[in-house]
Amino acid sequence: MQVRQRVSWLEMKTFFHLDMDAFFVSVEELFDPALKGKPVVVGGRPNERGVVSAASYAARRFGVHSAMPLRTAHKLCPQAIFVDGHMERYQEYSHKVHDVLCGFTPLVEMASIDEAYLDITGTQRLYGPPLRAAHLLHERISAATKLNCSIGIAASRLVAKICSDQAKPNGVLWVIPGREAAFLAPLDVRRIPGVGKVSEKNLNSLGIRKVGDLAKFDEAFLEQHFGKLGLALAGKAQGLDAGGWFDTEIGAEEGPKSISHEHTFSEDTADLAQIEATLAKLSEMVGRRLREHGLSARTIQLKLRYTDFSTITRAHSVARPTSLDTELFEEIRALFHRNWKKGSTVRLLGVHASGWSEEQAQLDLLDDHTHERWQRALAAADHMRDRFGESAVSLAASLRGKFRERTHENPVGLPGKKK
Amino acid sequence: MEFTVSKADLVRELSLSQGVVEKKTTIPILSNVLLEASGDRVTLTATDLELGVRCSCKATVKKEGAGTVPARKLLDYVRLLPEGDVHMKFLENHWVSITCGRSKTRIAGMSRDSFPELPKMPDPIAEIPVKALASLIARTSFAISMEESRFTLSGALLILRPDSMTMVATDGHRLAYVQTPCENAGVGQQFRALIPKKAMGELVKLAEDAVPEAKAEFAGDDNHLFFKVGERLLITRKLTGNFPDYERVLPKDHTLIARLQKDEIRAAIERVAQFADERSRAIRVQFTEGEVKVFSSSVEMGESEETVTSEYKGPDLEIGFNAQYLLDFLRVTAQDHIAFELKDQKSAGELRPAGDATPDQYRYVVMPMRI
Repeated sequence: MQVRQRVSWLEMKTFFHLDMDAFFVSVEELFDPALKGKPVVVGGRPNERGVVSAASYAARRFGVHSAMPLRTAHKLCPQAIFVDGHMERYQEYSHKVHDVLCGFTPLVEMASIDEAYLDITGTQRLYGPPLRAAHLLHERISAATKLNCSIGIAASRLVAKICSDQAKPNGVLWVIPGREAAFLAPLDVRRIPGVGKVSEKNLNSLGIRKVGDLAKFDEAFLEQHFGKLGLALAGKAQGLDAGGWFDTEIGAEEGPKSISHEHTFSEDTADLAQIEATLAKLSEMVGRRLREHGLSARTIQLKLRYTDFSTITRAHSVARPTSLDTELFEEIRALFHRNWKKGSTVRLLGVHASGWSEEQAQLDLLDDHTHERWQRALAAADHMRDRFGESAVSLAASLRGKFRERTHENPVGLPGKKK
Repeated sequence: MEFTVSKADLVRELSLSQGVVEKKTTIPILSNVLLEASGDRVTLTATDLELGVRCSCKATVKKEGAGTVPARKLLDYVRLLPEGDVHMKFLENHWVSITCGRSKTRIAGMSRDSFPELPKMPDPIAEIPVKALASLIARTSFAISMEESRFTLSGALLILRPDSMTMVATDGHRLAYVQTPCENAGVGQQFRALIPKKAMGELVKLAEDAVPEAKAEFAGDDNHLFFKVGERLLITRKLTGNFPDYERVLPKDHTLIARLQKDEIRAAIERVAQFADERSRAIRVQFTEGEVKVFSSSVEMGESEETVTSEYKGPDLEIGFNAQYLLDFLRVTAQDHIAFELKDQKSAGELRPAGDATPDQYRYVVMPMRI
């Protein structure tokens, strides 16, 4: 694990974390100004299954937050306006944001569809001190997109991220170097990226509630209690970039470790035709992303959740790594039939691909060239999707499996990521 | 049941059952060997429902009967006993007592009632020379697919014709074909069957124990194949499904031929392959007039190359191959020289023994790798 060393003032790194304010909702407001200021929930209809993708600040006051079931959101805030997500709109605006950022500094990493880290070290002569630079960027974003954003500035990405959160809405906050620990100390441990529900509970049980409490413990103690995570926590409490994603450099290209898609049925089903069509559709979505990243998967995994929420995952390693919809589907269908309790109603299906490998170099002796032919056919289909949208072409098997994609913050191909 | 056998006989016959009994089975009785004492013999049977072995040895039977005992445990124990007679007596509740000299053991068995019934052997249709059969297996079985999903490739195709015996195996990347002359007057036009890989391994074991001229009585019913060597019977379920049309992939028009000294090219490939990519095992083979060069390179390890002389007359050609596939053939070929026959970078290459004519026809077809 790499914990960034403190360096002298002059070489001090400066990072921005730019986070769009209520991104999905704000984009919806651009298209329908009547939504402005009202409680708005993006994600689907109030009586539908599924979760909230985003909520406006007005809705958040009622306790609505993202990842909450739509039905719960409706109970908390019955007067909220529920709108379907429009992924293509968010993608478009995300690209606009990305374009502005890239015009600002070359070291940009989109962390999700609506937030980015920028390394602006050494831009003093161009933009002046960090606060001025941030205001300039803030104006440019606003001019290009008519959207609000918040910017956190700090010597580490971790603190910058926490800053932008504190700066919301529509603000800029700079923690000057050396004051990180003091800034973090009064915050709840939960504010630290990487501390979720479980870690929070574990920390609380040790009497650690605030980041300041955490900073009092030494590395060895935290490592003993939390292992690798503890070591990272020790660094994080001091405001250093440590652990997981924070160990990598901005702009360093790190491909995905796995690619998966899931679908929750709006009504549980045991209808084989519908299930297979859904598996075909999911296989297509996974295949499409594999090809976008230029990857072939060796391990294909099925996720199957029944009505009673019991969930199984079953994986199979294929002899010939693949990125082809048809081959993924064949594997997934076989896995499904081997593992499905016949007749049991299914709530959720998922297709997961991992174990990257080169496309096989060994030529086939008995092959009737199906693989190569599909490769060419799907490459052509991908071109059509690039031009006319994802639904332009699909496997016949998946036609019945069409569903509206849920909008989430880490969609296919973030702007700026290598395809 | 109560009988006495010699320890050596019992160990020898029990060993044959070990390859058959399942080590991890969900059906406990399949870990057991069935012992049946009658007349002056005790018969041992083991099966995993796909494959069965029945063999026997001389015994002094005091009381006829049958029972089953964990096969692995029985062999492990009996092997450790001193040479001499082993006395086995089946007690109540399927316990078995084993006495040998001053050793006394009781082992928990299971009732024979739940032991699966093996199919009866029909009338033999041929007598196959056992050593020849084992030799066919040795020269083809490495090409059998390890992939469970390619079911029909998880065994070899056996073809009996009145005057010959053929075995073919392939995993979709390479194919091994051997035909050997063999009198099978009883066979009609031809008899074809797919033998599972596991059965082939057991046939080789039977052959190792047999005398050079031993013959196996061979029979088949709708679902099974039967090989009887002396008192030992091997029964295997046939693989169902269509074996690929192998004749289609046997090259017919290769004109580029490199003749090579087998040990020389094998040693060269073995060394060069040390520096091939570990997963793909890819090496490049370059054919130029008078010589063949093999080389490899891997980003992590480094690179290596070797040149061997060859009678090759033809255009320069460079082809990628999986080193393991080439070595599989070179390691089982008995002849001193081999011929490497080629067409181009993307077509199958063929290896075969060269030199002194043999009655056998051995052909090995390998697809190249993209380079």
